Amino acid sequence: MRKILSAITIAVCASTPVHAVDIEVGYPYSHLFNVTFEKMMKDFSQQHPDINVKFRAVYEGYEEGTNIILREAISGNLPDITMQGLNRQAILVEKGIARSLEPFIAKEANFTKEGYHQAMLELGSFNNEVYGLPFSISLPVGYYNMDMMKKAGIEKLPENWSEVIAACQKLRANGVKNPVFWGWNITGNWFMQSLLWTQDTPIIKDGKFNIDNQEGLIALNTMKDIFRGCEMKNLAWKEALSSFAAGEVAMMYWSTSALGSVERAKGDFEMKTHEFPGINGKPKGLPAGGNAALLVSSSNDPERLQAAWTFLKFITSGVGAAAVAETTGYMPPNKAANEIILRDFYTQNPNKETAVRQLPLLREWMAYPGDKGLAVTQVIYDGMERIVVDEQNDMKALQKELIEEVGELLPQ
Amino acid sequence: MSHYSPIAETCKHLILIIGALIVFLPFYVMVSYSLKSPKEIETNTGGFWGAQAPMVNQYCVKLGNPVDQCTTTPIVFNYTSAFNKAPLLRYLLNGVIVTLSIFIIQVIISMPAAYALSKLRWRGREAVFNLILFSLLIPVHAIALPLYLMLSKAGLVNTYAALVIPWTISVFGIFLMRQFFKTVPDDLIDAARLDGMSEFSIVWRVMLPTAVPALIAFAIFSVVAHWNDYFWPRIVITGNQNLFTPPLGLREFRGGADGSDWGPMMATATVIVIPLIVAFLIAQKKFIGGITLTGMK
Amino acid sequence: MSYRVRSVFKQTVDYPHQGAAVFMVFPAITLMIIILLIPVLVALVFSFSSYSLGSNHFEWVGLDNYQRLFSRSNYQKMFSATFTYVAIVVPFSVVLGLGAALLIHSLRFAQDFYKTIYFLPVMASLLAMAIVWEFTLHPTIGLINDTLASGCDISWLYHLLTGSWYGVDPTNSWYGNGCMRGFPLWLGNKNYALWTVAFISIWQAFGFNMVLYLAGLSSISRDLYNAADMDGALSSWSSFWLVTWPMLGPTTVFVVTITMIRSFQVFDTIEVLTKGGPVKSTYVMMYAIYEKAIQQNLVGMGSAITILFLAFVMVLTIVQRWLVERKVHYS
Repeated sequence: MRKILSAITIAVCASTPVHAVDIEVGYPYSHLFNVTFEKMMKDFSQQHPDINVKFRAVYEGYEEGTNIILREAISGNLPDITMQGLNRQAILVEKGIARSLEPFIAKEANFTKEGYHQAMLELGSFNNEVYGLPFSISLPVGYYNMDMMKKAGIEKLPENWSEVIAACQKLRANGVKNPVFWGWNITGNWFMQSLLWTQDTPIIKDGKFNIDNQEGLIALNTMKDIFRGCEMKNLAWKEALSSFAAGEVAMMYWSTSALGSVERAKGDFEMKTHEFPGINGKPKGLPAGGNAALLVSSSNDPERLQAAWTFLKFITSGVGAAAVAETTGYMPPNKAANEIILRDFYTQNPNKETAVRQLPLLREWMAYPGDKGLAVTQVIYDGMERIVVDEQNDMKALQKELIEEVGELLPQ
Repeated sequence: MSHYSPIAETCKHLILIIGALIVFLPFYVMVSYSLKSPKEIETNTGGFWGAQAPMVNQYCVKLGNPVDQCTTTPIVFNYTSAFNKAPLLRYLLNGVIVTLSIFIIQVIISMPAAYALSKLRWRGREAVFNLILFSLLIPVHAIALPLYLMLSKAGLVNTYAALVIPWTISVFGIFLMRQFFKTVPDDLIDAARLDGMSEFSIVWRVMLPTAVPALIAFAIFSVVAHWNDYFWPRIVITGNQNLFTPPLGLREFRGGADGSDWGPMMATATVIVIPLIVAFLIAQKKFIGGITLTGMK
Repeated sequence: MSYRVRSVFKQTVDYPHQGAAVFMVFPAITLMIIILLIPVLVALVFSFSSYSLGSNHFEWVGLDNYQRLFSRSNYQKMFSATFTYVAIVVPFSVVLGLGAALLIHSLRFAQDFYKTIYFLPVMASLLAMAIVWEFTLHPTIGLINDTLASGCDISWLYHLLTGSWYGVDPTNSWYGNGCMRGFPLWLGNKNYALWTVAFISIWQAFGFNMVLYLAGLSSISRDLYNAADMDGALSSWSSFWLVTWPMLGPTTVFVVTITMIRSFQVFDTIEVLTKGGPVKSTYVMMYAIYEKAIQQNLVGMGSAITILFLAFVMVLTIVQRWLVERKVHYS
């Protein structure tokens, strides 16, 4: 894929005798974004034949992406641009690895006109300065295999978790061995944060781990009820996505991001997406998923930085953002894309509209303060895993354990 | 066992054949799936070769290409994806560069040392030998972390140097060569000395030719271990694809959560595994003899 | 002659190649010190700190890291996973290697064929094979579970495997349960994961042991068997126990030690297939070092685990040396 991209850019460059600038870009999730970038590069190479874009090896996920950038910062071989999970921008800004984009924005004539609206820019802003331009935004949704649901006699899609559990029982009675997959193992403890934001509670408050309250306990108990009530299997998320696509799982709760990939891979069944269920009634908030593009170039060559900025603008602008929406399930964070290019898109792709309808619930995907964010993520992940495999049934005890262990890793 | 019973022989063969089937299963799966379409892989149909019916490449369709341009046979799709999606040839080349460099440097370092330890008398010989015995206790993989830290501070991470340097000292190689050199008759060396050869040239002109069997054994160990090494390159190479060794290249393919990547992934695995297997099949007596030789000590 | 002159003279006579020898071992010694010995010291130093790569402050924490290693449940699981894994892999690879060697050694024909097949896994990249195994073990579309599931529909096979032909309730048996609720997640179930990973390693390693045993077997002289046979017709079992097994002593010690050290160092399969899970049931030491020090940048903790790991390996190797010394003295 990289060869094709480089070949395209080289071919276009070779035809014009212009001095070409090289920039290097890193992004995550090959199964989601390979097709997106391949689509965008065709237009980019035509519009900017003087910029030679080289792609680094694709990150396995957001966590690995952050880990790699941190290590590359130390060993001195950072790329120019990197896509990082929204919750992983903070640490790069803190360490001075990400560069402020304000100087570039200041030079732009009509930045807001090009569709960058305030709410989206907030997601990449720190200390009132924009560091990351949001590239793709997602929200949790439910994926449903309508054939299996109808066969089990479930007419209305569930609105809260109790209804989900009831649906599980019906499906199981109807012979479905694996009725549900709930994405507890998604990157950055996103689903844990979902359950907390559903109750309008942030996971970090005043720099402390905020589950030492009723909401935290309810979140843990909701998870336990779903896992036990549905006897959910401990599938790895990749296995779960391919199982759902193969028509074996009836209900899947995951980020809307995989929608494009699942649609490409799925068998012949009718698939519908629906709003993420709430605990009692509708959710009060949901964390924004997705990634932002950051400028991490260690070079001071103005030409190179300008080329990087051009690329940044391109991929987050109307054309680029539209490509994101067309090839994945992510939402484009760019107003121009939404209003101009994608007007008919959502009527033609109703499944992708579910996330858009939930936009008013958008909240921050919280980063863990301090150096040890990745370690904290692992601790919470391990805690949830223990619930899934039936090793932990006392949620109060788990709550205490998590508070203690995470507390040790956060800055005092 | 001087008696021969046909029943016993048949039983032995039966057991061995069942074992061989289990041992061979993954190789069968790997090659077979590299020839199949995503549908066939998901449903486990198509026999060994796969039906080779034309399939539509969904990825290519999503890019906006017309459907008939995106239709191809599975084997073509899988193997071209394997070579196109990532620079597989580059990875193989890296594998060759890295294993060759490591082996050559290992020989340059260990041969003279082994000679000095086996054929020369000098002060400090016992001490150095004990140092070597002690170092044999330290597997390089165990100290990967501090090595990584040291290389990081020296700014050498993400380079060929980082892939090669930790392996240049092969204590095992010194040991092996020393054992072998001890069996070389002293007269050979004395004759060379009388001819006026320096000690250094004795190593390369006299000892090297006689040590070819041991060198082959050493080469086999070294090449196989470093061609297949995944742990160290995983730590030391981050984003620069140009430095990926074959195992790292294979790992890239696992990113795919959509079924269409299974075929190309198996094709990549086949391509990575083939070189060593083919070399092994051609020279299997030498290979097994080599392992035996090193195993004796 | 004075003592001084005599000793210098003696030196030049006794050690005529001093200069050349030192020159020849110098590169090796330097590299050994830099690549093997200094890192051990570095690890030792860092194990008493809470250092993170890239941070500019360095803090001593004394024995904190070691204390955590021996008290936290995660690390207890690390020890149990590592030792259980070694305890499974070593006996099976050694016994299978020995068994295969014995069988092949006694064949009349096709020896090379079997030797080649059984040795193939050793040559193949463990990573590639682990990925293929992962796919074969996929809960639903993998070959193994798919084949097991298709047996559910073949009624005579179903009855046979569930034991219902002698009155057992099919849903109580392992197979019956699998047919109803889906076959196990070989890598996702905490009870199976470690065994599955161990199986993959045994699959890969026993061919190597087989070759070593074949070499050992071919060096046992026929006369020994004839001598033992002279007291009467010798059954295969007693000829094995009286002659083969003792003569294979040194080989066995070598095989066991090498297999043990290699299985302590397992990483590839864990990082690719389970990442230490589920619930740390496959959280072996090498993976823990990687996770703590590289992924989570907790270098102090990673160094402490490294030191412990080194200690285990060193002890093992020394014990092997000592055992070989004893055997040599006996025979």
